[in-house]
Amino acid sequence: MMILTGKTIVSAVRPPFPYGGEFISQFLFAVRLCWFPLLISTVAVSYGASGIQAINFLNIFGAPDRLGGFFVLAAIREFAPFVTAIVLAGVAGTAITADLGARKIREELDALQVLGVDPVKNLVVPRFLALMIVTGLFDVYAVIFGVFGGVMATVTSGLPLGPFWATFLTNASVIDLWGSFVKCTLFGAIIAIVCCYKGMTASGGAEGVGKAVNQAVVVAFIAVFAFNYVFTQTLLATNPEITVIR
Amino acid sequence: MGGPSAGWTAVPRDWFASFGEIVKFIWGVLKQILDLRVFKFSGEVLRQAGLIIMSSALVIWVLVFVVGLQCGIEGAYFSRAVGAPANAGTFAALCNLRELVPYAFGWMMAAKVGTGIVAELGSMRISDEIDALEVMGIDSITFLCATKLLASWLTLPFLYVMAVGAGFFASYLAVVEQIGEVSSGGYFLLFWMFQNPPDLLFSLAKAMAMATIIVLVGCYYGYNASGGPVGVGTATAKSMVLNLVMVHLIGMLGTQVFWGGNARAPIGG
Repeated sequence: MMILTGKTIVSAVRPPFPYGGEFISQFLFAVRLCWFPLLISTVAVSYGASGIQAINFLNIFGAPDRLGGFFVLAAIREFAPFVTAIVLAGVAGTAITADLGARKIREELDALQVLGVDPVKNLVVPRFLALMIVTGLFDVYAVIFGVFGGVMATVTSGLPLGPFWATFLTNASVIDLWGSFVKCTLFGAIIAIVCCYKGMTASGGAEGVGKAVNQAVVVAFIAVFAFNYVFTQTLLATNPEITVIR
Repeated sequence: MGGPSAGWTAVPRDWFASFGEIVKFIWGVLKQILDLRVFKFSGEVLRQAGLIIMSSALVIWVLVFVVGLQCGIEGAYFSRAVGAPANAGTFAALCNLRELVPYAFGWMMAAKVGTGIVAELGSMRISDEIDALEVMGIDSITFLCATKLLASWLTLPFLYVMAVGAGFFASYLAVVEQIGEVSSGGYFLLFWMFQNPPDLLFSLAKAMAMATIIVLVGCYYGYNASGGPVGVGTATAKSMVLNLVMVHLIGMLGTQVFWGGNARAPIGG
């Protein structure tokens, strides 16, 4: 997998660049598949998990108006990248593994190699770049709908919206947003590599493709979460100013 | 889902189109269990239960463990930020038991068990093994789907409680050992104060609802796969999409129903 990562990055930057068309079609493919599941998921998670439970938690301190501040932490720093990665891995990642796996089983990848077409450059690189960029952009989308879920939770709890926005905007920092964005882009890279690798090494007929998809999602989830832990830890420890609630 | 040429609304339209079929299929499977017809194959049920324990338990616990660490560090930093660092335990208790452990469990169930079922049943369907079962006079839905559902009902409550334990342990590690925010005693005092047995039961109910849906959706997509090896791959991918959305919806509804109007906390606001 590491070898594939290296190869992908090297052949992404070394000319010629034959993957433009494939990149665009993969990009649109991922966006088309993911926008609807991601919308439902982000609103649901931020309404339930961070909205209702955080109002409970903050009510204990008698400070439900701090919900906005919590949403910077919850929506921007954690849940938006989390949910984006989960949905992208589950939706676009599985589709990529299924696609590449089927090509591997039908020996299309070998045929490409015989024709002198490098499968890494022409299949993996465009998927890698497309998934990275899509995941990064979807992070913004997820933040927007995550905050919308928070607004829903505030309104249904009968709290005024003014304090929510006030604390949200005073606490939101540029570092948080960049952190979230960079984290999500790297998630996309992890997912793309894992899914392409599992797809390209699929073997054993119909069951092999299914198994490859299965393993791809499992490995991608664990890798994303492990990476997330390290990243959040580093971000919080190296930027203490973003943990201060203003 | 088609190829790259699929339309913008392909995913929701696909769900609307197959919604009735999925419900009918689910009802068919449940009827087999309610009729107790599934007990004809109790050996198969036990075998499936063993498979779940042997192949899925560990990954689920690993994911829940990592998520528990996450809950711990966010809890430590957030409660420090609101000026109540001693309350890291409170945050960890709410975050783990009520929200993230069920979600992580649902995600991993969908990824490991759900897609595994689709891959297995799908390849059986493609290679005509399901038709062969029918020819031999074995009811394939009972033998393949109902047994899996019953097996997951048998094993998953225990597996889930273990997962909750893994999450708790991870949060403890993160808050007390790694960040050193509060002492072990202070952490546990608040940690146990902010949860009670009904909470565990609610959380379990949420997780079991997710698991049931995941197994049934997996069975549906696997049982109805078509179109060769590509079809199995596509069916696996499709089941994952629906499962993720269902997990999130169940999580949200569960939170709203169980804790929506009542924080169930030991102090008033």
